[in-house]
Amino acid sequence: MATLAQPAECVLTLPAAWVDAAKFERALWLCGDALGGPCTGVVVQVPAGCKPMVEVIVRLLSFCNQACLMTKRVRLQFADDDQAAMGYLDRMGFFDHLSPSVEVSPSRPAVSGARLHRGGNSGLVEIARFSGTEPAEDSLVVRLAETARNSCSGRPDVAALHNAVFTILCELIGNVVEHSGSPLDAFAVLQTYPRGNKVRIAVSDSGFGVLETLRPALRKKGDPMAVLGDVDLLVEMFRKGVSRYDDDNRGTGLMACAAHAIRFKADLDVRLLRGRVLLKPAETEYQPNMAYLQVGLPLMWGTHIAFTLNLA
Amino acid sequence: MDGKIGWGRPNGRATLEKLVSFIEGHPAQPVFRISMEGVEQIDASFASEAIVELIRRYRGQKGICLVDLLDLEVQFNISVAAARVDVPIAVWRDGVVEIIGGQPSQGNREALEYALTRSQARAAELAETKDYSIANASTKFKQLWEQGFLMRNESAADSGGVEFVYRRIG
Repeated sequence: MATLAQPAECVLTLPAAWVDAAKFERALWLCGDALGGPCTGVVVQVPAGCKPMVEVIVRLLSFCNQACLMTKRVRLQFADDDQAAMGYLDRMGFFDHLSPSVEVSPSRPAVSGARLHRGGNSGLVEIARFSGTEPAEDSLVVRLAETARNSCSGRPDVAALHNAVFTILCELIGNVVEHSGSPLDAFAVLQTYPRGNKVRIAVSDSGFGVLETLRPALRKKGDPMAVLGDVDLLVEMFRKGVSRYDDDNRGTGLMACAAHAIRFKADLDVRLLRGRVLLKPAETEYQPNMAYLQVGLPLMWGTHIAFTLNLA
Repeated sequence: MDGKIGWGRPNGRATLEKLVSFIEGHPAQPVFRISMEGVEQIDASFASEAIVELIRRYRGQKGICLVDLLDLEVQFNISVAAARVDVPIAVWRDGVVEIIGGQPSQGNREALEYALTRSQARAAELAETKDYSIANASTKFKQLWEQGFLMRNESAADSGGVEFVYRRIG
């Protein structure tokens, strides 16, 4: 009887370019099912010229920490001849939140760049860590929203932008604490581009996954939305609000996020356990016919949501 | 809610308990005006638990409205939370009332606008002004009261018997 050799190690090679969520997923797909498969180790290669976007950085962080929790050996390899990527990640506090079990080469920064420079760059916010099960501190969302306000202070719609960032972060962080059920920390990050036209907000957790907690509860209470596909159910969550509880006050969070996001024509990127949905804004709401779905992706625990607000 | 910022369901519920406790402590008072002065930021979940749920809970029994709500972004979040569950909220500014959140049906919109521009209104007056039948005007006001847009009291009718007087909330 023939047997197939199982790879002992999966290799995730990030592109030597700007890496958005789509490129990250492509790299993860080429890597194989590192978390869901039998491999015992994961190597993450960050080549020279690699510039991961903030939503990718927090996903990578969650991915590495999840692999460690699953007792896999994780090695993060940076190019010897280009320290830019490592410096950027260090500045954001990536290594402060990375599991100590992850081996980093050439080596981890001796002193955290985020701690050294905290608050020094109005356009960049360090990664904020919060418990997957304990309420987050008020200062976390206030600080992130203040950064958005300060870096966009000259804009006429700065009040709306500040409120959008505040509300989206509050609602997403609140959802993680209430629903993720994960012992691992979750992460929030925001990046503004003072001379650009975008604000990116991302929240990443390592929990059960938004649809995995919602759909069985809907089925149990006989809600017709239980039979919807992933895209349709997600769109309904953003459009009308859907909750696993009978209390109809619940389910407001994602709907409120969408109400703010649509004012800035934001793209919504949602990474599920084995799929990804990208929602593009229609005129006044998000609709299923403007959604792009990827299925059959490698396993990543949790829910990873990113908003890209477009500033006029 | 402590301070100027409120967010999250647990904080919203804690604030709701305080507001309910205050209202229950004043059983004879029919109207409560909640001042939003000093509130800089609340998210929709907080608004849903603390404000929308409070108004919904006392719908038809107590009139609860918001005053000193000058920040339109704070109002946006309250409105989003209230609209989701069709709860109308009366907001007073400079002597003028605006309804945010739940909105009346197309058929009742005119009747509501009529009632909001005067201190009190009767179905007979609405019927005469808008050329409705008395029964139709009465039904519209009754629906607006049931849905939480208006308050009402019983009053002696000119023709004898009892009629309802409808009032703005606040």
